[in-house]
Amino acid sequence: MKKRPEEPGINMTPMIDVVFQLIIFFVTTADMQQKAIDESIRLALAPHAKPVETRDPREVVIEVDKEGRISIARTYMTADYLYTLMKKTVADQGQTVPVIIRADGDTHHESVRAAMDACTKAGLWKMKFSAVKEKAS
Amino acid sequence: MARKRKRNLSGESGELNMTAMIDVVFQLLIFFLVTQKPIDTMANLDVFRPSPTPPKDEVQPPQNMIRIQVLPQGVITINDRTMGHTEMGVVLEKLAALSQNQTIMILCSAQSRHEDLVRVLDLCAKVGLVNLSVVSIN
Repeated sequence: MKKRPEEPGINMTPMIDVVFQLIIFFVTTADMQQKAIDESIRLALAPHAKPVETRDPREVVIEVDKEGRISIARTYMTADYLYTLMKKTVADQGQTVPVIIRADGDTHHESVRAAMDACTKAGLWKMKFSAVKEKAS
Repeated sequence: MARKRKRNLSGESGELNMTAMIDVVFQLLIFFLVTQKPIDTMANLDVFRPSPTPPKDEVQPPQNMIRIQVLPQGVITINDRTMGHTEMGVVLEKLAALSQNQTIMILCSAQSRHEDLVRVLDLCAKVGLVNLSVVSIN
């Protein structure tokens, strides 16, 4: 072991600065993922269903709002275009891609049906309806 | 040597001005407390969806298959018998006691609200029925 000249202590300030920068960066970017979903959709309640524990990274979230408009990540599209898109997804990743439908509780079934039919026509069969198990106060 | 460094560190830490850092940390803490929104617990309800264009030679579903109809205005029937949610819960529980793997066919009318369908699926999930097939009717 070499004997080093005595240091006059470590200056912590730059380290703390960098740590805070990192914390703020991760907090803001984590928030951005949430923004991809439509907050105005009021999901139906399902107090007895299994809570979501694991998420498939391939999952496709299709949203159907109160007016029956279909969207993925805030991009509105027709059922025909959704079909084209899902066919592309099947070609790329196979038929086991799970589809999650976030439909407003007040929307009519025909709008949800249009979205589901586009998926089944494309060959996707794993389908789930998103619902709220427990509302946070 | 270790002891020497320790003493050295503790000696220096008195010079680090903590006030500014604590100010900033409190600001951040208050900011995140105010801006955070509580997240609802989410649930997913699995369903099977038959193909929209069924093959012509498809066999007819057996007559003893349970059919739940979801009609407009929240009317729900099990095998053509109209019933309320509590009664339906009791009936489904009895059905689940026989077999949890039997296929339940849920016929959903185009004009019914999505919420009613989710409620039926929820009641099925409660009693452990897993083979739920959602069919749309006009």
